[in-house]
Amino acid sequence: MMRLILLSLSGLLLMGCSSKEVKPWEKENLAQDIMQYGGLHPEVKKFEAHVYFSKEASRGGSGVGGGGCGCN
Amino acid sequence: MIKKTIYALCFSTISLMALETGDSIPQNIQAQLNLDSNKTYVIDFFASWCKSCKKELPLISKVHTEQTVEVIGVNVDKKKEDGEAFVQKLNVPFRVIYDTNKEFIGAFDPIGFPALYYIRDGKIVKTIMGAVDNIDEQIAKDIKEIK
Repeated sequence: MMRLILLSLSGLLLMGCSSKEVKPWEKENLAQDIMQYGGLHPEVKKFEAHVYFSKEASRGGSGVGGGGCGCN
Repeated sequence: MIKKTIYALCFSTISLMALETGDSIPQNIQAQLNLDSNKTYVIDFFASWCKSCKKELPLISKVHTEQTVEVIGVNVDKKKEDGEAFVQKLNVPFRVIYDTNKEFIGAFDPIGFPALYYIRDGKIVKTIMGAVDNIDEQIAKDIKEIK
């Protein structure tokens, strides 16, 4: 009985693991504008950058180009 | 039993390997793409959500094709309607295959997107992964080299 419970628990734990990679052509959702840093509203990103610059006296180093679709 | 499992794992890994330069295209894919052995094919995988594809497709459409060269587009959108609308919007002049069940892209398994393959005699002779500036000039140059 104990063995069965242990097996079931391990099975449940393993269900949380996945080795399936997201292929470049499966990145439809990642390529959406809302997935960009700052989301759909670029002004939020601008405002945050302004606050960061005011507080830290430095800028840059936030995010990378591209929409996450794996296109270079 | 263990031996069988190891063999099964090995074969499953081999079947999942991506097609690369020098590899032959599986017969069923060749038949479905209707490939002629006397022609050079430029196969471009694209999707409506891919911003680089939106940039590249009008340039690829400009590629001058001769009797011995053909461009084939493979759209990998989940919904065929999205792909059709995208193709219509960009006025794509070449043959487009809608790969909604991911059969073609699954067989080629490119490591980047958009993915472009040059095929001659049923074999991949060159690949371009990801977006390239002035792709039309690149294709023209590559076709000259392949011929």
